[in-house]
Amino acid sequence: MAGQTLSRGLLPVKNVFEEVGVMMILTVKTLISAVRGPYPYGEELVWQFLFVLKLSWFPLVISTFALNLGAPGLQAAGVLSLIGALDRLGGFFVVIAIRWIGPIVTAVVVAGVAGTAITADLGARKIREELDALQVLGVDPVKNLVVPRFLALMVVTALLDIFAIVFGLAAGIAAELLYHQSLGGFFATLFTNATITDLWSSVMMCTMFGAIVAIVCSYKGMSASGGAAGVGRAVNQAVVISLVAVFFFQFVVSSVLLATYPELQAVR
Amino acid sequence: MIGWLDIPRGWLDSFGDIARFGVRVSGLVYSGRVFKFFGEGLRQAGLLIFGSALIIWAFCFILGLQCGLQGAYFNRSIGAPSLAGLFSAYCDLREGLPYAFGYILAAKVGTGIVAEIGAMRISDEIDALEVMGIQPVTFLCATRLLGAWIALPFLYLVGIGIIYAASFLSVVNQVGDVSSGGYLLIFWMYQSPPDLFFSLIKGMVMSTVIVLVGCYYGYTASGGPVGVGTATAKSMVFNIVAVHILGMLGTLVFWGSNPRAPIGG
Repeated sequence: MAGQTLSRGLLPVKNVFEEVGVMMILTVKTLISAVRGPYPYGEELVWQFLFVLKLSWFPLVISTFALNLGAPGLQAAGVLSLIGALDRLGGFFVVIAIRWIGPIVTAVVVAGVAGTAITADLGARKIREELDALQVLGVDPVKNLVVPRFLALMVVTALLDIFAIVFGLAAGIAAELLYHQSLGGFFATLFTNATITDLWSSVMMCTMFGAIVAIVCSYKGMSASGGAAGVGRAVNQAVVISLVAVFFFQFVVSSVLLATYPELQAVR
Repeated sequence: MIGWLDIPRGWLDSFGDIARFGVRVSGLVYSGRVFKFFGEGLRQAGLLIFGSALIIWAFCFILGLQCGLQGAYFNRSIGAPSLAGLFSAYCDLREGLPYAFGYILAAKVGTGIVAEIGAMRISDEIDALEVMGIQPVTFLCATRLLGAWIALPFLYLVGIGIIYAASFLSVVNQVGDVSSGGYLLIFWMYQSPPDLFFSLIKGMVMSTVIVLVGCYYGYTASGGPVGVGTATAKSMVFNIVAVHILGMLGTLVFWGSNPRAPIGG
């Protein structure tokens, strides 16, 4: 009796582990199909790359500018102006815009914009039984559909991170100008505090975010079922899982990174 | 293949429609006509609490951990580790929680509403409601807005507690540069009840917009099962940008000219 109750209570936990396991299997399959020839996905890769870029660039620019102007820009500038150290905003923006908000917002935008589009697309193909038809024709759906999305999303997310950093810093400049501060101090502290570790860790993190979003969204799209409500529900679950996974991953990576690279903790 | 400017152009196309739809639904709630279906509103509030509360709070917890971590290391780098509470107070209450709430609400609740209502639209259930003499906008959309307004403020307030606990954990227990008493002294010093109130307003405006956008895209879905998926994806795109813009406007309005920090005179 107690065992039954326990197993029923643990059912959600078991489901989570099963989902994660299946996604891991899909990741390994994707990696193997990506490196082992033949390589039929070149054209689809370019197409997906452009598709994600065209979808994401506008939401990304608006989102990073708004977030960086509001959260670190105005809040920090308010406190710094009270203690008369507005030029220190540059050093603060290294921490916030490059290390933290850049990757996070890029991941949120890519998950919300490109990930949902991928899930809707693959889910529609699953519902219309196109995926089964592909398999009957001897075309591997993982190699021809998932691998190009996986690679394209990894590259695009890293690329968009650079844009997120640029527009984040532009928002920092806007915040300085709103407080009528000259920009010399901002750039001076920005460039003395920025390290190459900040930049590569930010870009690497974004590459991993792209991989996570691509796998989660492809998996949820390819396992959509249940008619009209099914595709919508798949998109819903895909975006929730990607967001939680990305934020959790970001926390773990930045914990390790900040603890192991002493130059990120130095006073300059 | 979509063009480079299709996303902004699509928003310009649909922004007026969304605004008109939102005003109509809010009008139905304000005028009290939704109370004809008060039971349905309560049911939607219950669904929100039982279906989404845990995931919302888990997301708040993760963001709180990140706020604490970044704040602790930033303050160590400027040689003032005891001031980590300042960063956490601002990051948690003023900025982090509204954004975390907006992201996860857009992802979980907003797209969920589109999937539900869109599926009803595709299978002609909304037309059936109309034939039966029930106003579908009141029954489906206004009740969801009412349910969100009943349940979400409380979820938000509990989320504040959770994000505070998470920041405490990561600053005091994980990084450990500052004692718990020293952290809490600065942490409570740099916030005030108006901040809590403004933060709540920010979060609620975001969630109202998210629910309305979800209802709009679900209600106007078309094109079979594929159309529901596309509408769900579109609502997420709109919601993400709306959350960021509302967050920025909220900061500008509430803290733009007065940071309300206990420094100086």
